Amino acid sequence: MTEAFLLSFKLASLTALTLLVLGIPLAYALVFKRVPARALVEAVLLMPLTLPPTVLGYYLLVLLAPDGALGRLGFDWAFRFEGIWLASVLFSLPFALTAYREAFQAVEPEVLEVTRTLGLGPFKRWVRVVLPWIWPGLLSGTLLAFAHTLGEFGVVLMVGGNLPGETRVASIYIFDLVQALEFEEAARAALIFVALSFVLVLAVRTLEVRWRSITGSNAR
Amino acid sequence: MEIDYRLERPLKLHARLQVQGLTVLLGESGSGKTSLLRALAGLLRARGRPFADLAPERRRVGYLPQGYALVPHMTALENVALPLHGPSGRRTAGRWLERVELKHLAERRPHELSGGERQRVALARALALEPRLLLLDEPTSALDAATRETAVELIERIVREEGLPTLLVTHDPYVAARSRSLAVLEAGRVRQQGPPDEVFSRPATLGIARLVGFANVFSGKVAGREEGGVWIETQGLRVFAPTAAPPKAGSRVHWGIRPEEVMIVRPDRPLSAPLARNRLEVRVRRLIKKGLVYVVRVAGALELEVALPRHVQDRLRLAEGDLIEVALKPAYVHLFSSGDASS
Repeated sequence: MTEAFLLSFKLASLTALTLLVLGIPLAYALVFKRVPARALVEAVLLMPLTLPPTVLGYYLLVLLAPDGALGRLGFDWAFRFEGIWLASVLFSLPFALTAYREAFQAVEPEVLEVTRTLGLGPFKRWVRVVLPWIWPGLLSGTLLAFAHTLGEFGVVLMVGGNLPGETRVASIYIFDLVQALEFEEAARAALIFVALSFVLVLAVRTLEVRWRSITGSNAR
Repeated sequence: MEIDYRLERPLKLHARLQVQGLTVLLGESGSGKTSLLRALAGLLRARGRPFADLAPERRRVGYLPQGYALVPHMTALENVALPLHGPSGRRTAGRWLERVELKHLAERRPHELSGGERQRVALARALALEPRLLLLDEPTSALDAATRETAVELIERIVREEGLPTLLVTHDPYVAARSRSLAVLEAGRVRQQGPPDEVFSRPATLGIARLVGFANVFSGKVAGREEGGVWIETQGLRVFAPTAAPPKAGSRVHWGIRPEEVMIVRPDRPLSAPLARNRLEVRVRRLIKKGLVYVVRVAGALELEVALPRHVQDRLRLAEGDLIEVALKPAYVHLFSSGDASS
């Protein structure tokens, strides 16, 4: 059980970190920059929200197979940790992106303009004005992505299969246990999930409340 | 400070004006007042003098937008210290907060402050920049009447004490009246600038006249000249208007009189000669109470709006339907230049 949970944590942490690095510039661009065919770009990025996990998993599996389009380029990541990492990033992207975008949308462009007239260069504007303004939103988005990855099942199973230590994450481990009628062990694992989910969602909610108390009533 | 700015976007604008002490820029909404301020702050592309080729970071122009734009996660003191550096910066910021009488609220965040207090924090922050020019966009529009008065007083006092060129944009005649110089933006350029008394009593165009409260504007024909002025015929009524440059007989002109300057003739007090010439009999159509004044609409040969202080109405006791006589004292009759009047 420990092995499965450790693998889940590793996957969720790496996924959340990747999304942080990838999502911030993406969200920033979507809010503040002119993006060509914005609606189209957003639709593609948010599609995993409505796509069945098995469908996303299926395409990734085909692409990442040794003779797949990506597999031939050296990314033969099917049934490997790298494969479920990529799948998790794509699958959780809409959650992180939505949270990040909301954080950036709260930043009033007028405030940034005025700080320019006060002599603050781009670096100072980011460090002193923007980051302290959006960090609760960034953290809550990252926690959401982490939690979402922990609970993911279909995509991981499709792309990674069920290899202990490589791709068998906790959610799949529980499925296995139930298949093997080992209900006692399954109950323990499930309980850990309940506790984890509760803590994570509580943290996200607390951050959101804090965030609104800072930014909420600055409206004219 | 002399300003000469040309904008192409979001609207075509060529503004030339003098900023000396508290200078108010008056204009209808959509006339480009805010765009001009944003261009002066460097936030909109424009050509002209001064500083048009400098980035906003390098202009040292203090800009207060309508929403004040305080940084929400910073305290009042931290906001004021934004343009300053180091530990001495915090002390300087504290002194500026003292200047706007907010020292006791230094640790509050913007959402814990009232609208008037937020504005003062934003003012202190702009002043901490030690700007070469201060720009204020509709500083009174979001304030209630009592706060408005103290806000204007504070702005006026600080600007005077600092000797700071300040351009304040508004459509509030109360604020305009407090300025040292009043400029009016119309049809993409500054059509008139001068002391507020002059602009209020002698607006250069019909549009400016309406903007500064000339409710009574009429068109007529020059019927004849006389020493110091012309006779204008309007709807069968002859009115004498003083002018130094009398237009040709027969030409069409516009003239007007402010509601505050229409006099009601009391039957028991006969009028002296100059006043006696522009008189007409009218009937009171409507009486509207607006704060401490009554706005009286009367109709006779002309339809006029007359503003009546409450104490005058308390003595006259006018009622709707009364027949009265009003006088348009020539000194208060304003002739608009006919070229501008067509616009």
